[in-house]
Amino acid sequence: MNKSLTAKKLELVCPAGTPASLRAAVDAGADTVYLGFRDETNARNFPGLNFSRRELADGVAYAHDHNAKVLVAINTFPKAGDPEAWHQAVRDAEACGADAVILADIGLLAYTVEHHPKLRRHLSVQASASNKEAIRFYAREFDVKRVVLPRVLTVEEIAALNDNIPVETEVFVFGGLCVMAEGRCSLSSYVTGQSPNMNGVCSPASHVRYEEVGDQLVSKLGEFTINSFGEDEAAGYPTLCKGRFSVEGSVSYLFEDPTSLNAITMLDALMKAGVTALKIEGRQRGRAYVTQVVSAFRQAVDAASRGEAMPDLDMSLLTEGGQDTTGAYQKTWR
Amino acid sequence: MAARSKSAEKLSPLKVATFLMRPLSLMPLAPLQPLLAAALAVMRRQHPAVFERLDELGEPLFVIDPIDLPFIFAMRPAGLRPSLLAQREIDTDQATAIIRGPLPMLIDLLEGRLDGDALFFSRELSVEGDTEAVLVLRNAVDSDEINLFEDVLAILGPLAGPLRFAAEARNAVVTGWNAAR
Repeated sequence: MNKSLTAKKLELVCPAGTPASLRAAVDAGADTVYLGFRDETNARNFPGLNFSRRELADGVAYAHDHNAKVLVAINTFPKAGDPEAWHQAVRDAEACGADAVILADIGLLAYTVEHHPKLRRHLSVQASASNKEAIRFYAREFDVKRVVLPRVLTVEEIAALNDNIPVETEVFVFGGLCVMAEGRCSLSSYVTGQSPNMNGVCSPASHVRYEEVGDQLVSKLGEFTINSFGEDEAAGYPTLCKGRFSVEGSVSYLFEDPTSLNAITMLDALMKAGVTALKIEGRQRGRAYVTQVVSAFRQAVDAASRGEAMPDLDMSLLTEGGQDTTGAYQKTWR
Repeated sequence: MAARSKSAEKLSPLKVATFLMRPLSLMPLAPLQPLLAAALAVMRRQHPAVFERLDELGEPLFVIDPIDLPFIFAMRPAGLRPSLLAQREIDTDQATAIIRGPLPMLIDLLEGRLDGDALFFSRELSVEGDTEAVLVLRNAVDSDEINLFEDVLAILGPLAGPLRFAAEARNAVVTGWNAAR
């Protein structure tokens, strides 16, 4: 099971929220693009975003013409008693020529194994499988070929996992940093009534307001103030896990600062840890972000595969709050 | 690497036009209106998928406020009577959302050279009002490769050829000039 002994070039898995972003990702050097349909079957169900069935078919054709693959994320948990939209998404993904589907729900995994056995299955980060027993279960029962690891593991823990599981691993290297147990976080649900895990929306835009109050930019989610940014302070998303709160007279970030994951300096370590693929977060971001981040990581992955020093690639202007972090890969948690 | 890419710094004919439009602070806006109406009509024809994504909004009113121009754009991109008007002032209570920033930056955003979230994080882009509507607009315009200059050329019919030639010649001169410096 030790895949770290046969380290090969890392696969670059890139986000696409729109057809133009898919083309931008492929043109910038993506090996693989991941995307979702325009509904609650995926965890980036944002207004105006995502793909129709026709757009997916066209996108797959474009990607395949350029030797890139397309993965379809169907990674929310089906509505109790009404899984048809999720089943239809799996059927359509296969019909459109997708190279794999990214799934989280065991019922949907079972449906796919039974009805679409030839469709390659990846386990979504939304399944939050972070130990060898869980991953072996998914491999044994549903023949998943790859698991996307939660953003809470150290490099050493990833290496240990790779030594003990029979499937590929994919890890996040850039973008939004979800610090919670993914697929199980209900923070946003408490405030908005909509679930990241069921409806595919964390901090849905319908509940977000930004207000200029004096020289402060105040972000609100529902009735709650999440943050207040000074005139010269970089802003962030209105997510509760990165909110700044007043507790017993002291104002601070409780879980995480507004920041983005950036593990571009750690590619060599991740390669040695036996990782197969690197995932860039950001289906909700614009194609300028996709072009710049994918281009930078294309250069970095190619340099790492040749054993060369990492090129100097500054992506700080694209990060949330104007700051980045290597996250759990190197972090000691508060 | 910066959010504002090198291509964004290129002096496009549209940006030259923007510069030339500044004296409009002293002129009536009426002559602009048919051009804006034609530009919106061409955009709807050239990029139907963009406008299809906007349908879910009903009839929103976006106020686009280029802070370096003496007027704002009132845009109703969806619904039965889409319109794009230049106005000196507007009752912002009627607006679904207000998007504010320098015009060259707004154009780069429209053409997909800049990332809206990054501009928002850095506070260069300001947004007020219905966040969901703004997100739909951003995702819609980002879903296709919009090239304003080409779209504007499409309005001009037979004049497009000479103007494109002039713009390309001008860009070649600028590129040569920049390379020689």
